[in-house]
Amino acid sequence: MSLERTANNLPHLQLKVAMFSRVSGSREGGCSLMCRPGSEDQDPSVFDRVKPAYSPCTERFRLGDRSFNRQYAHIYATRLMQMSPLLTERAQQKWGAEVQIKKLCDLQMGEQCCIVGTLFKHMDLQPSILKEISEEHNLLPQPPRTKYISQSDELILEDELQRIKLEGNIDVDKFVTGSVIAIYGAEKNDGKFTVEEFCTADLPPQTPRAVVSTDRFVLLVSGLGLGGSRADSMLALQLLVDMVTGQLGDQGEQSGAATISRVLLAGNLLSQSTQDKDASTKAKYLTKKTQAGTVEAIRLLDEMLMQLAASVPVDVMPGQYDPTNYTLPQQPLHRCMFPLSSTYPTLQLASNPHQATIDGVRFLGTSGQNVLDIQKYSGMDSHLEILENTLRLRHLAPTAPDTLGCYPFYLKDPFILEECPHVYFSGNAPSYQSRRITGADGQEVLLVAIPEFCSTQTACLVNLRTLECEPISFSSFNAGDDEESEMNISH
Amino acid sequence: MDAKRRNGGPPMGGESQAKRGKPVGDWEDSPSTFEEELALFDESEMEAEDREGQAGHDVIPVGDLFSADLNPRWRRPPADPLNCDSDTLIFQQIDLDYYLGAAVAGMPGQSQGVVPIIRMFGVTDNGNSVCCHVHGFAPYFYVPAPNGFTSVHLSEFKKELNSVVLKDMRSNKDNISVTVLAVDITRKESMYGYHGKRISDFLRITMAMPRLIAPAKRLLEMGFKFGTFPMQNYSSYEANIDFEIRFMVDSGVVGCCWIELPKGKYRVREEKSSGETDASDPGKVSLCQYEVDVGWTQLISHPAEGEYQRIAPLRVLSFDIECAGRKGIFPEADKDPVIQIASMVQRQGDKEPFIRTIFTLQSCSSIVGSQVLCFTKESQLLQSWAEFLRTVDADIVTGYNIQNFDLPYLLNRAAALKVNLFPYLGRVRGIKSVLRDSSFQSKQMGRRENKILNMEGRVQFDLLQVLLRDYKLRSYTLNAVSFHFLQEQKEDVQHSIITDLQNGNEQTRRRLAVYCLKDAYLPLRLLQKLMCVINYMEMARVTGVPLTYLLSRGQQIKVVSQLLRQAMKQGLVMPVVKPESGEDYTGATVIEPEKGYYSVPIATLDFSSLYPSIMMAHNLCYTTLVQKGSAEKLGLTSEDFIKTPTGDQFVKSSVRKGLLPDILEDLLSARKRAKAELKKETDPFKKQVLDGRQLALKISANSVYGFTGAQVGKLPCLEISQSVTGFGRQMIEQTKQLVESRYTISNGYQADAKVIYGDTDSVMVKLGVDTVSKAMEVGREAAEWVSSHFIPPIKLEFEKVYYPYLLINKKRYAGLYFSSSADTHEKMDCKGIETVRRDNCTLVANLINTCLQTILIDRDPQGAVAHAKEVISDLLCNRIDISQLVITKELTRTAQEYAGKQAHVELAERMKKRDAGSAPQLGDRVPYVIIKAAKGVAAYMKSEDPIYVLENNIPIDTQYYLEQQLSKPLLRIFEPILGESKAESVLLKGDHTRCKTVLTSRVGGLMAFATKKSTCIGCRAVLKNDAAVCDYCKQKESELYQKEIFHLSTLEERFSRLWTQCQRCQGSLHEDVLCTSRDCPIFYMRKKVQKDLDDQEKLVSRFGW
Repeated sequence: MSLERTANNLPHLQLKVAMFSRVSGSREGGCSLMCRPGSEDQDPSVFDRVKPAYSPCTERFRLGDRSFNRQYAHIYATRLMQMSPLLTERAQQKWGAEVQIKKLCDLQMGEQCCIVGTLFKHMDLQPSILKEISEEHNLLPQPPRTKYISQSDELILEDELQRIKLEGNIDVDKFVTGSVIAIYGAEKNDGKFTVEEFCTADLPPQTPRAVVSTDRFVLLVSGLGLGGSRADSMLALQLLVDMVTGQLGDQGEQSGAATISRVLLAGNLLSQSTQDKDASTKAKYLTKKTQAGTVEAIRLLDEMLMQLAASVPVDVMPGQYDPTNYTLPQQPLHRCMFPLSSTYPTLQLASNPHQATIDGVRFLGTSGQNVLDIQKYSGMDSHLEILENTLRLRHLAPTAPDTLGCYPFYLKDPFILEECPHVYFSGNAPSYQSRRITGADGQEVLLVAIPEFCSTQTACLVNLRTLECEPISFSSFNAGDDEESEMNISH
Repeated sequence: MDAKRRNGGPPMGGESQAKRGKPVGDWEDSPSTFEEELALFDESEMEAEDREGQAGHDVIPVGDLFSADLNPRWRRPPADPLNCDSDTLIFQQIDLDYYLGAAVAGMPGQSQGVVPIIRMFGVTDNGNSVCCHVHGFAPYFYVPAPNGFTSVHLSEFKKELNSVVLKDMRSNKDNISVTVLAVDITRKESMYGYHGKRISDFLRITMAMPRLIAPAKRLLEMGFKFGTFPMQNYSSYEANIDFEIRFMVDSGVVGCCWIELPKGKYRVREEKSSGETDASDPGKVSLCQYEVDVGWTQLISHPAEGEYQRIAPLRVLSFDIECAGRKGIFPEADKDPVIQIASMVQRQGDKEPFIRTIFTLQSCSSIVGSQVLCFTKESQLLQSWAEFLRTVDADIVTGYNIQNFDLPYLLNRAAALKVNLFPYLGRVRGIKSVLRDSSFQSKQMGRRENKILNMEGRVQFDLLQVLLRDYKLRSYTLNAVSFHFLQEQKEDVQHSIITDLQNGNEQTRRRLAVYCLKDAYLPLRLLQKLMCVINYMEMARVTGVPLTYLLSRGQQIKVVSQLLRQAMKQGLVMPVVKPESGEDYTGATVIEPEKGYYSVPIATLDFSSLYPSIMMAHNLCYTTLVQKGSAEKLGLTSEDFIKTPTGDQFVKSSVRKGLLPDILEDLLSARKRAKAELKKETDPFKKQVLDGRQLALKISANSVYGFTGAQVGKLPCLEISQSVTGFGRQMIEQTKQLVESRYTISNGYQADAKVIYGDTDSVMVKLGVDTVSKAMEVGREAAEWVSSHFIPPIKLEFEKVYYPYLLINKKRYAGLYFSSSADTHEKMDCKGIETVRRDNCTLVANLINTCLQTILIDRDPQGAVAHAKEVISDLLCNRIDISQLVITKELTRTAQEYAGKQAHVELAERMKKRDAGSAPQLGDRVPYVIIKAAKGVAAYMKSEDPIYVLENNIPIDTQYYLEQQLSKPLLRIFEPILGESKAESVLLKGDHTRCKTVLTSRVGGLMAFATKKSTCIGCRAVLKNDAAVCDYCKQKESELYQKEIFHLSTLEERFSRLWTQCQRCQGSLHEDVLCTSRDCPIFYMRKKVQKDLDDQEKLVSRFGW
């Protein structure tokens, strides 16, 4: 680990290139790093890869000693405690400094006031482990659903001590359990609170990003889905690797590829099909000799990462189907699984969520579990919309721990956004989407929904100079409806 | 709290029983056994009188009963002034009793001394409460007139009877001078036996009070002499009828019916101060808004039809109390305070309660949507709650186990604190609520010890009692019940925590209050969901008994009420018979089952309402029974009567139509009507009422047969009941023969039909067809054809097809049930298979259930075998969730009192030694698992607390579970499939039983001296350091890691799902989960996952992050 960090901090390119050539020399077909593919002769044009300043911010999502002897109440309590001053401030901005901010226990019937609390959405369709394990009722299995919302959903606001049902001007479908918001209105006769208006904590403050003089790119890829059954995605993946490593295209493209200063893999490196759910439920006498379903796919991944890391710094985030822990924050994949690639200091095994500053541009994002979970439990469908929503709530994963697995934090909630990122992404989206939004205090954020590579063969490139993003597709089969040229990486 | 969910807690306070004189069931010190028996029958009647006498002295000014500040919502809607000359008063009567009081001027009946007065309580359409005193009805009974008796002898008879009854009285505190009010000659006929329609003279003896009936009857029976007539023993008729029932029968009132008091026919009572009252013109004595007097012949009772099916807006109050017990001791009313009382009031028919109140001792933070009333003194709290109850003026009081815990506790506590105004919980001012013990026995429910508290005018509807009567469940804790019916778990706070919460601050008390409110709310939800109130009201209407009888009395009274109503129409009287137990008669027949797994459709043909229809078809009744050898005497020819399969004789309906067939016809045609109406009805509430009615009618029809067979009943008649079963047996046999003779290959059918099983009222036929629709078609045809061989209304109906069908043994079978559609099955029907037995662990029920599903729904017997093997392997590898292995037994006595050593008792003792505070108390249910122990240790010593087992990694005795729990039920269902010898070798032996996990306990034995060394995760080689793998396995490290991390991730997912589920259930995100409900399937699981996760985490961390 320490080796890796020092290497990353060294701005001397030559060192790297020298190292790369040493490595690549050992490989078959031993061409130097940036040479034209297939050409054996010495080509004079060698493009130095741009080497950005990089500082990972690993502490936040790393867990040291973990203990599960706690309950989830603490994370909610800290979340509310940390966020209520923010919301109080927002409420005063919105409804005037003299607005009454009350606790539920002091609530008087009919009195107009503001309350800050955590939302709880009561949902009839929510899958319940209780029903699953209760054998008495297992005659009708709960049908799998893509969404668990229904007409009968109810929003409930809970402060430190009490809860109250909400009605009125608040769209039940837009909200999810765990969000901390401030509401304004009054309690009506029937013990429900009629909401007139509400506000969220909105975007956190932002440090301006550094000025980057030239075009530099970060390649965001998600959902490689290794070990899956899709052959086309394997070809596309190889194209991607070759493109990044400069083994593809002409010199122009190679020089373009050289501007890719970093590759970020946002989760689901392995396919869902590697998840052998049966293994945990099958009787031991049947599974004694079997090995985990991920073994082959991890071997592939190791090889692929070696190719990439030999040429470019790579951040690898785990996702839902990758062999690490289940609850957020997911810890980096273990080095022992990457005997080949882990020797490269350029391989950065990151946590999920992941946060890093690249050339003064602050990246923050997840492999997509937080967004997918909100999608299931709210009326929102667009990953981009959900992404923006969490930014406005100032919380990465409000549904954790309720429906999204999460470590039982004790004194902190690491998912509260304390500083506004410049690039805010989530992985494993059904399609590519991105948008720039500007906050009330001039914060500028690029939202990116990184598409799932194995189904879309699409990755995206973020320009650190302009903070623009564009998709890049490696689809080799449906070229017909592909508007963008496959290798359009020079602008 | 769950401390109170126990059936027989220690008796609380004895003072109230002392008042009652001799306790019921004390057979020795009584003058005559028969009177004692009668007392048992008429227990409620006798006691009602006693009660009135003693309470008469307490005059409580009404102002004292209400002093607290009121919430205007509590009160009933204001009552418009009532003018008896111009207004007609219509109300729904919900409770009916009687008392002895001074005659009221202008009302019919005896004018001197104390007279029995019927009191009805009810509610008008506007929600105003009514108390109606009904005058002029006196109790009576019949004796046959002696030969030569004419009207001239009447006065002599009356005088003599009067004097002997007076003489018989041990004390005469009411100064009664006239006991016999009247003796009349009536033309009646005995109901029992056919005697040629011989109507004879009966003496109708009207007594001054209900309690005089018994001595009069006894004296007449023992021998009575008057005038010139010689000493003679008189048999009595209808002397054992409750006074209320007598009144209701005679006046046509049924339970919960609407009563109309026409204008000008009744008198309104006004509020009077105590000085103005005068015995003949009394003021209001009740807390009801309207209080009226009426003569018994003046009131109109509307049958429950048309608009009179509606239900008044009754107020249903549900409440729950919390008491602060001391550690390790069940709360005792004289020591431990009541700290909270939660109440919810809902109008019948509304969706939500409109009053939600919590009374707390010490301050309590406010609760949104509920009114919190805090008190610093407990006596104040109790008194105010009693005032609350009186102000709200609930018609129905419900809750969970209020009858045996909450109400007795409140009453005893109030007595201990000397809250004198507390125990006036009824609607009549001067009557104190007192506690009594009662025991109640019935075939259906066994013996039950109960506490009874009087609350005049309010119906106590304890949900627990309802569930005990109507549902067979694994567990009756409120938690288990709510989960079963509402799929909702309730937070269960251990009683040792309650005191801590109370002693905390206003927030912790609020927490408790929310919990308490939920306990008050759930019974309302359940009542609504199960439609208890509606169904019980319909039952009361159909059978004609007061609502309260349905919960406090057995089945018989319902039939008696109907029998009397029918008998009255025909001029018949019901004899009093001495209960005696005779020998049993042969029950229903069972066609020997041909065990096996049938993968072809099996049609089931049922006799609809078999026993009632037999009674109707063959005219079986008391009135048609021809005594042995008396047929010739009565001049009956063989055309006139039938001989039943048991040799008993009954006349045909052409000679005389029986009463019971009449009653049954009424019930069944009413049911048909209700069902037809139900089909047409669109309003969901009315639909519920109608459905409740048709169910009540069905149950009532079936209980008639039971009544004739109840040997210690009011009118047993073995000839009827044995003939009914005799016919039943014959019909089942005949059906078998008919079906098998017609549906044969030789008659052009696909295959020879075979009756594979038959029981009581149904036969299962293998028709040899291969599709469900075909089976339905042939089944219908066969049912119709067979029906034509029987006398109507006996009808064989095609009901359902089982496909596939697993026939295990008599009364044990399972199958997929097809009835309305041939394409989709409606349910999996299992009869007599281990699913609800409480002494099994849930693993058994779950495994059997899943296997049956695999066999029946997936039609995969091999899959079921594989599944059973896997579960057995899981069991041996310690992968079964411990909650599935828990066996639960109730601790009903202390260890000394148990004759033999028992596992749960021994465990309770051991737990007491570990920690007296959390050990199970008397009345608690003790959950335990069986653990491994050295050879030769007695089975009862191998029980252990599941939590202790989890925490200390104690190995489970898997062999016990396999051999004692699983093997028998498993073999039973698999033997028909695999064959008897093979089943055992396949299931209980083989590969899957060879892989075992051996746990090492953290306590006991040599463990204290052992040190644990790390071993390689790959090959178990002992390592020098704490690394993950040995050098040899290093190259496989990635693979090994992936297997372990996958396991960790699975555990994490479980952890997060389980603990967030508990948060949702407790209804709070910011507070820790406290719930300790051991009935909840999650409880042990979430504990285990924590431990497993910590272990797995340690293992994975050896790889280094």
